[in-house]
Amino acid sequence: MRHRLRLENIKRTFEDGGMQRTILDNLNLQVSEGELVAVMGPSGSGKSTFLSIAGALLEPTSGDVLLDGESISGKNKKELTDIRLRQLGFIFQSANLIPYLKVEDQLVLVAKLGGMNKSTAVRRARELLNKLGLTPRLNAYPDKLSGGERQRVAIARALMNDPAVLLADEPTASLDASRGTDVVRMLAGEAKERGKSAVMVTHDERILSLCDRVLYLEDGRLVEKQLALR
Amino acid sequence: MYLAIREMKFAKVRYSLIAIIMLLVAFLVLFVTGLARGLAYDNAASIQNMSATHFIMEKESNHRFTRSQLGEGDLAQAGSITGEKNAQPLGVKMTTVTTKGTAHKLDVTLLAVRPEGWLMPSVTEGTAITSQSEGQAVVDDQLKDSGIEIGSEILDQASGMKWIVSGFVSHESFSHSPAVFLNERDWQQLQQSAARQGADGTATDKSYSAIAVKANKEQAEQMASALPDAEVVTKSEAVSAIPGYKEEQGSLLMMIVFLFVISAFVLAVFFYVITIQKSSQFGILKAIGARTAYLVRSVALQVLLLSLGSLVVSVLLVQAIEAVLPNGMPFKLDVATLAGTCGAFVGMSLIGSLLSVWKVTRIDALDAIGRTAA
Ligand SMILES: Nc1ncnc2c1ncn2[C@@H]1O[C@H](COP(=O)(O)OP(=O)(O)O)[C@@H](O)[C@H]1O
Ligand SMILES: [Mg+2]
Repeated sequence: MRHRLRLENIKRTFEDGGMQRTILDNLNLQVSEGELVAVMGPSGSGKSTFLSIAGALLEPTSGDVLLDGESISGKNKKELTDIRLRQLGFIFQSANLIPYLKVEDQLVLVAKLGGMNKSTAVRRARELLNKLGLTPRLNAYPDKLSGGERQRVAIARALMNDPAVLLADEPTASLDASRGTDVVRMLAGEAKERGKSAVMVTHDERILSLCDRVLYLEDGRLVEKQLALR
Repeated sequence: MYLAIREMKFAKVRYSLIAIIMLLVAFLVLFVTGLARGLAYDNAASIQNMSATHFIMEKESNHRFTRSQLGEGDLAQAGSITGEKNAQPLGVKMTTVTTKGTAHKLDVTLLAVRPEGWLMPSVTEGTAITSQSEGQAVVDDQLKDSGIEIGSEILDQASGMKWIVSGFVSHESFSHSPAVFLNERDWQQLQQSAARQGADGTATDKSYSAIAVKANKEQAEQMASALPDAEVVTKSEAVSAIPGYKEEQGSLLMMIVFLFVISAFVLAVFFYVITIQKSSQFGILKAIGARTAYLVRSVALQVLLLSLGSLVVSVLLVQAIEAVLPNGMPFKLDVATLAGTCGAFVGMSLIGSLLSVWKVTRIDALDAIGRTAA
């Protein structure tokens, strides 16, 4: 089985008042094609740090991140930006969408940044939005969308450049239970169907049953716990 | 570009307001520039109309026509270097005249030229003077407003000499006073009568104020060494030494500079505030793979669109105003000045956007993660 995302021996320390604090210590993770992994942990345990490293936004102190088997260490800023554009799809907590872009344009922008031509981009955007049940909202601005719709648009946008990996940062934090479940179901479904490796940081226990694996960040590592309910 | 234009469409009110401010500033810049150019031209029109490249003046004259005195010898020297035709004698004297029929006095500048030479402007009404004519003058048509007509007699207060107006020229003035053109013969008489009234009473051969020349750089240098008591002054130096010219232009230039600074500052603050408001957006855009250069271009494009848009409208506005401006109001905005001013305005706007550009480059994509709300 193909592991589209691999983190190997990740260590990350922060300087804090002259002291080195180790937040992530020898963290390992492999996420296979079509798999959605949930990462939980108390506040301050390093979840955001972990996600930033996996998302090529923060460099690990040591260790390696591999996307489709290829290491991203030693790349310069421009190359990392390009990796985020083409190989990674992000879904953030809330301030996710650009307020002045219509739903369709949110997706077309990402395609344009990646150099896709306009008509291909529009076709692909419509197809994705249709799949996520957003066709009636094609021309709406984000402030006219419900929280659930916004996160669905974010998922569609994350998929636009056909990335290897999807990274979600508490995507259900601002949603009620049923909308949250809908969003995660879609995320899981798209990951499976399109063969992406997906990682979701979350506090939301209600959606764990939709994930293939649930990991906990403890002492700078990810540990697996068996779920009681499955 | 994609982001810049969509954002401006979305936040129409916000961008319209700043566009209006920019428009007003741009309009003011163009208007004051036109006024400055107009005043400059009005002040020194006669000198600026002359197709001379340089003027030769007396060394101690401080580049002032009215203080300078040169003689036949200087003229011959200059003529031998540039070719006789390219050196023309010029007499300049500011004086006060009266005319029959009107009681009030008029300030004019007497300009003595060779009527057949290239310093003589073409007559728009009446007949021109010749080197043979005596006691005749052509005058600027501004003097019509003071009741002067063809055939009017004007009397110089200082010398008591009289000239008959034989024709009119237009746009001819010196230090804001209308020009009165005389031939050399009348000028010499005027000089002699002045000398008679002078303290020592001896006539000198110093008879011209300056020599206008058409010369290239080497010839100008040659003349400078050939005429040790004289100075070769460029046309623009001579113009700015005209009484009042520098002062007038200085204060107007200061206003223009301040307007430029204000416009750059207003833009800088506006875009900086907007950029700060949008930091989280920029963070997200960077996180999902927008390059910093792309975002910077987007900000710069918005500034460019705003300043170009407001310039276009204000150019139209200035032209409309120019059409309805009364004749007495000097206003002049030629294409070169207009283009230069517009270019400077766009340049200043872009300088105003630098602060925002710097801010955009500093925003970290990392901020996108772990953020609860916008
Ligand atoms: N840039 C930084 N500089 C110093 N300390 C940091 C930095 N980023 C995170 N930390 C520290 O690392 C720890 C983990 O942070 P974070 O990854 O945000 O945890 P979580 O997202 O699980 O709440 C926190 O104690 C935080 O103070
Ligand atoms: Mg966090």
